[in-house]
Amino acid sequence: MSDKQLDFEFRERLNRIVGGDHHNYCYQCGACVAVCPAARFSDEFNPRDILLMTLLGREQELISADSIIWKCTNCYSCYERCPQDVRPVEVIIALKNMCTQQGVLPDNVDKFSEAIIQTGRSVVITSTINRRRQALGLPELKDVPVEELKIILDE
Amino acid sequence: MAENVRVIPFWGCMIPVKYPQMELSVRKTMEPLGVELVDMDGFTCCPDPIYFKARDKVQWLTVAARNLCIAEEAGLDIITMCSGCTSTLLEAKFILAEEPELKEKVNQRLKRIGKEYKGTVTIKHIVVMLRDDIGMEILSSTVKRPLTGIKVGIHYGCHLLKPSQIMHIDDADYPSLLENLIQTLGATPLTHTEKLLCCGKGCLDDNMPLQMTYEIFASMEAVGADCMGLICPTCFNSFDIGQILISRKMNRIFDLPVIYFCQLLGLAQGFQPEEVGLHLHRIKIDKIMEKLVKSESVEFAL
Ligand code: SF4
Ligand code: SF4
Repeated sequence: MSDKQLDFEFRERLNRIVGGDHHNYCYQCGACVAVCPAARFSDEFNPRDILLMTLLGREQELISADSIIWKCTNCYSCYERCPQDVRPVEVIIALKNMCTQQGVLPDNVDKFSEAIIQTGRSVVITSTINRRRQALGLPELKDVPVEELKIILDE
Repeated sequence: MAENVRVIPFWGCMIPVKYPQMELSVRKTMEPLGVELVDMDGFTCCPDPIYFKARDKVQWLTVAARNLCIAEEAGLDIITMCSGCTSTLLEAKFILAEEPELKEKVNQRLKRIGKEYKGTVTIKHIVVMLRDDIGMEILSSTVKRPLTGIKVGIHYGCHLLKPSQIMHIDDADYPSLLENLIQTLGATPLTHTEKLLCCGKGCLDDNMPLQMTYEIFASMEAVGADCMGLICPTCFNSFDIGQILISRKMNRIFDLPVIYFCQLLGLAQGFQPEEVGLHLHRIKIDKIMEKLVKSESVEFAL
C-alpha cells in the first residue's frame, strides 16, 4: 500500500450505492478479521485490507471478476462485530454492484441472477420437478409473474 | 391446542424445486400444531441475498418489496423456511425503514404494477414462529415418539442470527433457539466447536467451501453426533451432497445424515421417514431409525 494517491472520485461513486457510504467509518481496528471465516480459510482474503483498499480508492484491484471480494462468504459476522457500523459485507456487496456497472461480473453470478430475471426463480423448473412433487402429494408449482418483474426492474 | 395461527408460507426457490421433502415436512408437521398455511400466488425468488444482491441492490430491494406487498395486501404474517429468504426479506424491510428516500424510489417502481410497499408485514423463520407463537409446551404436546437418545449436532447457519440488529432472533454468539427446540423433541442437542461456522456456499472459491464443510463435520463427529440438525436448504446442499464430495475429493467419510428441523419434528410426531421425505437424502438415516426403534423397545420393556 505505498500508493499515496487517494481516489476520492471512486469513493464518491461508492457512496451513492446502497450501503457503500458506510466504508467511510472504518478505523482499521481489525475486529472483522478475527471473526471472518473467509480470512480463516484463505491467506489472501482480509476484510480490513479490503476496507483499506476502498479508503485508498484502489478501484483496479477491487473491481473485477476475479477480485478477492468474491471470496467473501456473505456470513455477516463482520456486520455483527464491527464497532463502527461499517457493515463490511454490505460495503463488499456495494463493490460487487460496481462490478455490474462496469460489466465485470463473474460468469456464474451473471447467469444466476439472469435466471431470476428470466424465470422469476433462482432454480429452473424442469418437467420432472412437478412430477416429483406430485409423487410426494405436493401442489403443482405455478408460473410466476415474470412480466411484472421485468417492469419493476427497469430504472 | 393453541388458537389457530394463520400465516403465509414463503417457500422460496430451493425448497419447492430442489428439496420438496422439506416443504412436505413443513406441511405435515404444522397441521397437528394448528398452524394454517395460507398459500399465496405471485411470489418470485426472494431474491437471493448473495448473487442477485451482488448484481444490483436497488433491484434486489424492489423485488423483495414486491413480495412483501403480496403479504401486506393479504394482511397476514410471512413465515420463511430458508435462511436466505429470511435474510433478504428482513433486511429489505430494515433498509427500507432506515432510508425513506430509497423506499420512495422502490415505490415509484412498484407503482407501475399497481403496488405500494408500506412496511407493515412481519417476517419470521418457521423456527422462530414455533418458539414465539406456538411455544414449547404445545410443540411438545404433539410429540408422540420422543427422539430419545438421538444426538443432534446443531448447525445454525449465518443468516438466521446475523446481523442481530436486523434479525432480532437470538444472541448471535450464544444462541439457544435450536437447542431448546431440539430438546423439546426429546433428542439431545449437541453443541460443538464449529456450531456457528458458515457453510461456505456464498464464497466463490474451489476449495474454501469444502474446507469449511469439512471442519464442521469433523467438529460434530468429535462430540459423537448421530446426525446434523439444520434449518436452511442452502446449508443442506453444502452438507448432504457435500459429504459425497468430501469423500471423493478429500478421501474422508463422515456419513452423518443431515436433517431439516421440520423433518426431525415429523419423526417426533410419529411420521414415518418417507412421510417427511427423508428417503430422498443422499446420506441415509438408517442408523438413527435403528437407534430410535431400540430406545422405543427399551421404553416398552420398562
Ligand atoms: S470494518 Fe469495522 S471491524 Fe473492520 S477494521 Fe474497519 S472498523 Fe474495524
Ligand atoms: S461477510 Fe465476508 S467479510 Fe464479513 S466476515 Fe463473512 S466472509 Fe468475512
